[in-house]
Amino acid sequence: MSAATRLDATFSALADPTRRAILARLAKGEASVLELAEPFDMTQPAISKHLKVLERAGLIARGRDGQRRPCRLVATPLRDVTTYLERYRQFWEESFDALDDVLADLKKKHRKETP
Amino acid sequence: MTKLTVTMPSDTEIRMERTFDAPKRLLIEAMSTPELIARWLGGKRGTVKVAAFDYRVGGAYRYEFKTHEGYEFSFSGTFETISDDTIVYTEAFNDMPGPAIVTTTYREAGGITTMTVTSRFPSKEVRDMVAGTGMAEGAGESYDLLADLVRGMK
Repeated sequence: MSAATRLDATFSALADPTRRAILARLAKGEASVLELAEPFDMTQPAISKHLKVLERAGLIARGRDGQRRPCRLVATPLRDVTTYLERYRQFWEESFDALDDVLADLKKKHRKETP
Repeated sequence: MTKLTVTMPSDTEIRMERTFDAPKRLLIEAMSTPELIARWLGGKRGTVKVAAFDYRVGGAYRYEFKTHEGYEFSFSGTFETISDDTIVYTEAFNDMPGPAIVTTTYREAGGITTMTVTSRFPSKEVRDMVAGTGMAEGAGESYDLLADLVRGMK
C-alpha cells in the first residue's frame, strides 16, 4: 500500500463513529469481539464487520488465541494521520498567534492617536 | 478563548475558527495591510513577501514564502467580495490550477471578534491533498477528537 492509499484507508475507517468508539475502547487494552459487542448494543457480526475495516486499515491486529482472537490497537497509522493534519493546523496556529501580537500593537497605536 | 479549531464541514471544505481579542475593524486592518500581513502570516517559520496586494474586487494578491529551511511556496489569487463582515477570495497554492474559494467572516461581540475561514476546494481529492489527508465520509468532525484518541494511546 502506498502512503497515500494507507492514509485514505485510515481516514475511511475513522469516518464511522462506532469504529472510533471501538478504537477508544481498545486504547484501554485488548478485547474480544464479544467484549466489544456488549457496550455497543450491536450483534457480533455487525461488530466483526467494523473490525474487518479497522484491520484492513492497519488500525487493529487480531490475536491467535483460539476462538477468542482478541483485538488490539495498532498506533502507527493514527500517528501518520495526525502528523499531516498537524502541519496544516500548526501553520495557521503560528500565524494567528503572531496576528495576536500585531493586533495588540494596533490597539496601542489607535489608542495613542485618539486624543 | 484563542484556540484554533479546524473542522471539515463537508467533503470539499476545511474550516478554521478562532477568536481574537480585538474589534473587527483592527482584525480587518491587520489582514488587509501588506506590511502587517508580512508580520504575521506564516508565524516565525520564515519570511513572507507580499508580492502583490490590490485590495478591491477583482484585484490580485500574492504571498511568497521562504521557510528557514529554504523551502519556498506561494499563495495567490483575486478578491471576489469585500464587505464589512465577509471577504471572499480565490487561493491557489504554488499557482496550481483550480484554486480554492476562501470565505472569511468576522463576528464581533464586546470587542472580541470571531473569525471563520472556510476554504472550498474543487474536489475532495484537492482538499485532501491540501490538508494532506484523505478524510472520507463523516466529515465535520473536529481534528481534536483524533488528537485526543492518539494522546490516549501513548
